[in-house]
Amino acid sequence: MTNSSKTQPWHSETIGSNGASIIWLHGWGQDHTAFSRLAGLFSNTFRNRLFDQPGFGKTPITLVGNGTREYAEELASILEGTGPHVFVGHSFGVRVSIQLAALHPEMVAGIIGIAGAGLQKKRSIGFKLRAKSLQTWGKTTRIIDRLLGTKMRPRFEQRFGSADYRNAGDLRPTLVKVVNEDLSREAQRVTCPVCLIYGAMDTETPPEFGERYQRLMKNAQFHSLEGYDHWDILTRGAYQCEAVIKRFLEKNDLI
Amino acid sequence: MADKKVIAVIFGGRSVEHDVSVLSGLQFIEALDPTLFEGLPVYVDPLGQWWTGDALRKRSTYPVSQDTQLTQLTLDLAATATDRPRFMTQKKGFLGEKTEYVPFDLMVPAIHGSNGEDGTLQGLLEFAGIPFAGCRSLGAAATMNKQFAKSVARQKGLKVLPELTVAKPEKGAFLDPEALSQQLETALGEDAFPVIAKPSNLGSSVGVSKADDIDALVAALMAIFRLDSMAIVEPFVPNLVEYNVAVRRNADLAVETSAIERPLSKTEVLDFKNKYLAGGTPRGPKLDTGPSEGMASLNRVLSPEELTADQEKTIRQTSTDVFDALALAGSVRIDFLCDSKTGELWFNEANTVPGSFAYFLWEAANPSVSFLQLTSDMISEGFRLSADRLGSTDAASGDATIFA
Repeated sequence: MTNSSKTQPWHSETIGSNGASIIWLHGWGQDHTAFSRLAGLFSNTFRNRLFDQPGFGKTPITLVGNGTREYAEELASILEGTGPHVFVGHSFGVRVSIQLAALHPEMVAGIIGIAGAGLQKKRSIGFKLRAKSLQTWGKTTRIIDRLLGTKMRPRFEQRFGSADYRNAGDLRPTLVKVVNEDLSREAQRVTCPVCLIYGAMDTETPPEFGERYQRLMKNAQFHSLEGYDHWDILTRGAYQCEAVIKRFLEKNDLI
Repeated sequence: MADKKVIAVIFGGRSVEHDVSVLSGLQFIEALDPTLFEGLPVYVDPLGQWWTGDALRKRSTYPVSQDTQLTQLTLDLAATATDRPRFMTQKKGFLGEKTEYVPFDLMVPAIHGSNGEDGTLQGLLEFAGIPFAGCRSLGAAATMNKQFAKSVARQKGLKVLPELTVAKPEKGAFLDPEALSQQLETALGEDAFPVIAKPSNLGSSVGVSKADDIDALVAALMAIFRLDSMAIVEPFVPNLVEYNVAVRRNADLAVETSAIERPLSKTEVLDFKNKYLAGGTPRGPKLDTGPSEGMASLNRVLSPEELTADQEKTIRQTSTDVFDALALAGSVRIDFLCDSKTGELWFNEANTVPGSFAYFLWEAANPSVSFLQLTSDMISEGFRLSADRLGSTDAASGDATIFA
């Protein structure tokens, strides 16, 4: 469902004016400039629109606690009446792209997911026990603070919270919601062609995610690029991504 | 899909341009089409030992320390007789050391300067029958020696500055300023100063300096002789500006030129630091930011407006002639000197392994050539030239059989 009356426009930058439309959705903690180099390589042959998603760059938070489904709905409302578009996402941006393709398949001609997130890592029992105990301790500190007026919770967050969690500010409820999402079911509903690109040295979203997504999706191809991690795949890896993306677009008549 | 070709990119090396070469090599690997090729980094350390390993792909690995996880390689010079080219490596196993092989299909020399760009590596690869990209040994050696390259250009009627070649004195001997003055007068005429002294066999402006009198020249030459055994002395071009252009043979085998650049410099002569570490941040280029670094981050003006149509034509025609005359290949950068007041242009030198393979000049060319296209074309050309080189080597085919 889209509700254009409530949706504020997202800040975006447009690069190139000829050819098919590509929408670029950045990762968590970044903004549209994360794609400057890669999108620049497509500037002669595509119309590229690079968005700042709500809470990042120049687009303010629209609603505290939104999940990727709400991000996708907002974007669908912004793009209503246009498309279909090709979506290039990085990490968090891939989550939003998958949600959009599952909710509004008519708007999505294809997805290129670079270091796509949205699946849960396979964890050891030791890791799960540690996570559970930290979760319990976190809740306990909150209760103690409330009862005794102490300030244990901020210290606990400082000590055990991830960098993203500590820096999330008003986006913290969104972050908590997003990291606990598993998009396996949404991925199964994606019917458009999908190109999954992962850095072989990525530990945030390991290439194994790509292989799982490939199995879940009906029409997906997977590429693992040697020597790149979660972040430098967009900079050092720009040319290799360009090669893979162009071949994917050609093969699927998306040019 | 057919198996991907393994492209061994060799960089680093025993050269003063070691660090720049690391950047160029990594940039080439990063611009390989991953659907067709698999890049294999091969790092030559300053001692001349060869290494490979995933850690080499990251700029943060450099300078390489002893703790870096790398595998030492030896090139198998006899492998192509029976198989694909390959490296050998010794692995410690349960039953002692064991030789393992790392096969590849083509090597890309990304070593700048001596022991890499000068034909030595190319000669080794030709001898071993290993396909490689870029110039063959003849062109690489001919362009590395500035005096020789200029003499070929002169023979072809191309405009070059006069020069005096000075050999490094015997051990224990000194340069005689009087004899040097005499030679200078003969080669460059009276009132030759100011002059520019440069090593005969190095690129990247290493060791280039200006001398206003004979004492300064002697000092400059002695500094050069720490780097090279030959030096050349040329007249200083007043109102000097430099123009560079890249040349290559495209997929249709036609020679084409790139966009022209004018490197920017605050000083009269580009020294190494200005050229590669523009912005004054010596650690800058080591950031893992990808291809916009090294030569590419040098401050430059692309397609400078002040160039007249005639000057542009001269630059393009001369560089194409040099490319043909010296039988060059790959992405070659041809450098020109210009007196900005008179507009006069002189061919200065040819770099057969230019910094960053001059990809930024190709991307700015009309029509633009992407770095991806450039690497793919260089690889195809490398396979073609290596296959064309020998033809049949069977003694019987030349009627040269002795041991029947």
